Amino acid sequence: MLTTANSELLSIPEVQSAIAAGESLFLAGSREALSQLPQGNWIGGTIPYFMADEGGLMSEDRIFVTKIPDFALEVKAADYGPENLADLYREAPANGFTFLVLPASTVVHKTFAEQAPSYDGFLFRPVLGWVTGVRVDRIGKEAPAVFNGKTGRAFDARGAALHVTLPANKAVDLEIVNIFESGGGKLIRFQEAGFRVSRCFIDGKPENLAAYITSKRIPLEFPLVGEYNGSAINVSFQSVDATAGTVDLYAPVFPDVDYHFAKPVEDYAGAFGNAIPAEEVRPAFACNCILNYLYGKLEGKTTGRVTGPITFGEIAHLLLNQTMVQLYFRDIE
Amino acid sequence: MLPAANNPVWMQIATGKRPVRTEKLAINLFAKNMAMSLARDSSPANVQQLAARTYEFFLKYEKIFASEFDKILA
Repeated sequence: MLTTANSELLSIPEVQSAIAAGESLFLAGSREALSQLPQGNWIGGTIPYFMADEGGLMSEDRIFVTKIPDFALEVKAADYGPENLADLYREAPANGFTFLVLPASTVVHKTFAEQAPSYDGFLFRPVLGWVTGVRVDRIGKEAPAVFNGKTGRAFDARGAALHVTLPANKAVDLEIVNIFESGGGKLIRFQEAGFRVSRCFIDGKPENLAAYITSKRIPLEFPLVGEYNGSAINVSFQSVDATAGTVDLYAPVFPDVDYHFAKPVEDYAGAFGNAIPAEEVRPAFACNCILNYLYGKLEGKTTGRVTGPITFGEIAHLLLNQTMVQLYFRDIE
Repeated sequence: MLPAANNPVWMQIATGKRPVRTEKLAINLFAKNMAMSLARDSSPANVQQLAARTYEFFLKYEKIFASEFDKILA
């Protein structure tokens, strides 16, 4: 049985009251909003974009709140730097999950993206969350941040985590909704992992990816789609430098993964609406990508009945791009 | 009830001889992670380790992914 959602957009005073009442919370809001919160059992990340019941919107004085269910046995806040990120998995509960927020374009963000699949505990200790950001017109001027509400500290270069221990009769189910699929066509492979690529193989032939994208006028709006045994995992394009022959990505590519350019999507809101059955129980937590929000013009539009922060990267075991992440709680015998 | 830890099915899954392709993200990521590890290191020692890891994964998620695991193990 799936339990119903417990996530909503609240005012700062409402969140202050919830914290004072001893609630354990996972929060998303502007730095200004999160900075007004008292210490308590919460973590948060900066972002001012949200998918609300009324549609996509930007708000700097409201906070998206996910309340940890009352059936949780223990909730512990922590923060990690790139030097001890592997400890995240050692400190994660044997039965439960971990919420994680990482500031965009930091070493800890990139370390998680590249190293998570190699950490002992990867997939055995479910981790979900998102990459924090800022208003898009303030990128490069303002730093994304995370907050460890337990200590009252904000960090520009560390991740914040909330370890949630569940009773034996509860489990988490992390799902993704990816409106992109492989467009078929040329098979792309990489010899090295990384966020920046130059050389690749296209249908087995060595190529420079930047030159290929430029010559074929491949639209950067749509991601590369990696094939993971039936799950489509996106890698989004940040920029192409045809002169330097490099492509910068919002997630790393990995060797031994088959990639294709995605089939274009015209109607993002419609695609999400179609992918999410109307009668389905709402997830306990969800987030979606800022690139989907911008390219898909989701301001004022809905994505099924799913709400949550609009983020600079998503986490469901590993770093994802242009993907909706959903958390469900399930009863098990 | 899962096969015993020393059942050859775990090595079959770990080495891709028994295909894994489901609707569940965690299972698919696990299978892909095994394949990528094998591509980097196909030594008998690593294969043994991957088989053991596969058994542990199925044990961990036995109740949550029961129907998916039944199809894989059938």
